[in-house]
Amino acid sequence: MMNSMNNVEFVNELVNGAVKVIKTDVVDNFQVSYEIKKNDVHLLLTRLKGAGWIQLSYLSAIDWLEENKFELVYILFNWEKPVYIQVRAKIDRENPVMDSILPIFPGAKYYEREAHEFFGIAFPGNPDYEKQLILEGWDDIPPLRKDFDPQAYSDRKFPKRDYPQDYSVKDPKESRQAKRAEREKRATSLRGGKKQ
Amino acid sequence: MKSTKFTPASKLSKAEVDRKWWEIGDYFRRNSLWLLMYCTGCCAIELPPAMTSAYDMERLGMGPMATPRQADILLVSGYLSLKTLRRLIYTYEQMSEPRYVVALGSCPINGGIYHDSHAVINQLDQYIPVDVYVAGCMPNTEAVMNGFVDLMDQIKRKTAVGWKKYHDHFEWYKQNQRDSLGEVIVHDEFHE
Amino acid sequence: MKQMKLFLGPQHPGMHGNASVHMFVDGDIIKRSYLLPGMLHRGFEKAMERKLWVQNISLIPRVCVPEPDINEMAYAQGAEKLLKLEVPERAHWIRMIMLEFARISAHLMAYGGLGGPTGNYTLMYHAHADRNLILDIFEQISGARVYHQYIVIGGVRQDLPVGIEKDMHEFLDSLESRLGEYRVLGVDNPSIIVRVKDTIMLPAEVVWELGVTGIGMRSAVGRANDLRKVMPYARYDQVEFEVPISTYSDARCRVDIKIKEIQQSINIIRQCLAKMPEGPVRVKPGRGQSMRWTVPAGYVYSPVESSRGEFGYYMVSNGGTNPYRIGVRGASYPQGLLGIEKYLPGTRIDDAALWVDTMGVCSPEIDR
Repeated sequence: MMNSMNNVEFVNELVNGAVKVIKTDVVDNFQVSYEIKKNDVHLLLTRLKGAGWIQLSYLSAIDWLEENKFELVYILFNWEKPVYIQVRAKIDRENPVMDSILPIFPGAKYYEREAHEFFGIAFPGNPDYEKQLILEGWDDIPPLRKDFDPQAYSDRKFPKRDYPQDYSVKDPKESRQAKRAEREKRATSLRGGKKQ
Repeated sequence: MKSTKFTPASKLSKAEVDRKWWEIGDYFRRNSLWLLMYCTGCCAIELPPAMTSAYDMERLGMGPMATPRQADILLVSGYLSLKTLRRLIYTYEQMSEPRYVVALGSCPINGGIYHDSHAVINQLDQYIPVDVYVAGCMPNTEAVMNGFVDLMDQIKRKTAVGWKKYHDHFEWYKQNQRDSLGEVIVHDEFHE
Repeated sequence: MKQMKLFLGPQHPGMHGNASVHMFVDGDIIKRSYLLPGMLHRGFEKAMERKLWVQNISLIPRVCVPEPDINEMAYAQGAEKLLKLEVPERAHWIRMIMLEFARISAHLMAYGGLGGPTGNYTLMYHAHADRNLILDIFEQISGARVYHQYIVIGGVRQDLPVGIEKDMHEFLDSLESRLGEYRVLGVDNPSIIVRVKDTIMLPAEVVWELGVTGIGMRSAVGRANDLRKVMPYARYDQVEFEVPISTYSDARCRVDIKIKEIQQSINIIRQCLAKMPEGPVRVKPGRGQSMRWTVPAGYVYSPVESSRGEFGYYMVSNGGTNPYRIGVRGASYPQGLLGIEKYLPGTRIDDAALWVDTMGVCSPEIDR
């Protein structure tokens, strides 16, 4: 426990010495995250693997719709110096292409395939990233993008059960805010138009 | 008034003889139902306690069966994603008649907790006929056994006729399946 | 050389969960194999983005079905790291008790699952009889047998009921006295030894190449690589327990390690019941604030040691009332998908179902 802070500092020196870091975030004693540029990802991952971070825990993507970018995240772990390192890089959303890290971590094969299926990111270098893994015969945009509405898809394709409507709704368009404003106005008018 | 009990066999019409044989068959069927082992969804976790010595299912005469050709009940345990539904329809059509379907959980009734998901169907009734629903999320093992006893009652009262409905309305079921699933053919895409 | 295409399909008495292994076989030896996931896909990651932080608690346990408490723990831990929230002391100990009971029940289920492919259904009967007693204890604590929704952000939903310690001690004593019987039935049984001894070996380099964690790693590498020891969460540093390891990694060794881990979990639960302090168990949001609770922006990965390996949630928040993105790292993702493709060819058809059981491939967490 005493050398967990040393581990984080060790990681900080290693990463800052290798590439230029855009943003650093120390989450706690056992986790650090770095945001770097897309072209530096391979270099940094190779360096980290050489320094002992040989387990790839997770690889995925995040969809930032307003900035028009995807953000790829790689999470590595080392059992000797236990620190989780999150490496994040942003890529373009219109034409998402990212070189595959299969030569560095062979375990990334299926993570990249799934990222292609759910976000639409291409990974040249991975031999069969275009085959469908989890969905079968999918006919719409990649589902985990923010502009896909699963409720609309479900209503369109899968019929729902009709329940008999044997209750009455009072007035669905009544607004509570309007009624509250009415009440306040009446209360202040009763007090002589002055707020106390 | 003709009583089938005391009429000699040579004077009965063919339909009545068939009905008598069917009643005898129903008696044996409902006391020895065999369940197809297919864990389709999360409610399947409550099935091993029912099959083993915790809430023994064998005292009702039920047991597990490996192949659909010789099974009586298709137990749909929980939600059905699109991929599973294609294979389930294959399996259902392979079973020999009479065959019964028991749906566990609230997901086959109206979608359950996954009603707004892009990969889970909402109402199982549209694709294959269902005889007994067991509500819950997830239903207790005793509720599942209760469902089986209900099915046995229905067989006794001759109201478990889902398989006949599949015959009569075959085109309607197939049309629904094609609408939601696209095509029901299972492609072995990894080897093609 | 003739090859035949087979699939150990989704409907199979020896298969665990709803996944199928497609293979090309020549005689009895597998030449190429592939796992077909996706039959349990529900779109969890999308569904979690559409609900509030509190509403997700009812959706979360359904991601990994045999052991639902790890989901709740990973979710609550991640949100508490972003919120920088300190959970009361008693809640940590109760969480440990729930997690260890869940681990025992998942190990028992995997042990019982060994009975299907080998034809010894006795294992399943014994294992599920004991597992049912655990589910009864869960029902007394949280109200539901399988999906508890008990570990929430801010602690635990309510305190343990009065008199539950007596039931727990009774159960632990009875299980401990039967572990010898489990060993005789499952590990030293000649008819099972023929199937599991010297089969499905996993050398150490393969472990690092695939990214396998959990029992697969500890039985091959020979080090105590367990997240409870290396980065302890929830007061695991205040209880004493050992982590069983080995270097000869065949299927029999892994089943043996499972039984040893059940014994270690029993020790942990006994120490927890002895050392637990009194006090509150939950940090509640303010009155009426549950629906408007926001979590500060950040990216956090919160891992938990489950019975199959490292199970983690990657949570991204942008300061709103809904999570922005939650990614689930299933513990059996590497050994299920990549392991079956690269390391199953060369073994026999009957080893495919054993791989799925002893390596701990649980299909709901691969598909989500």
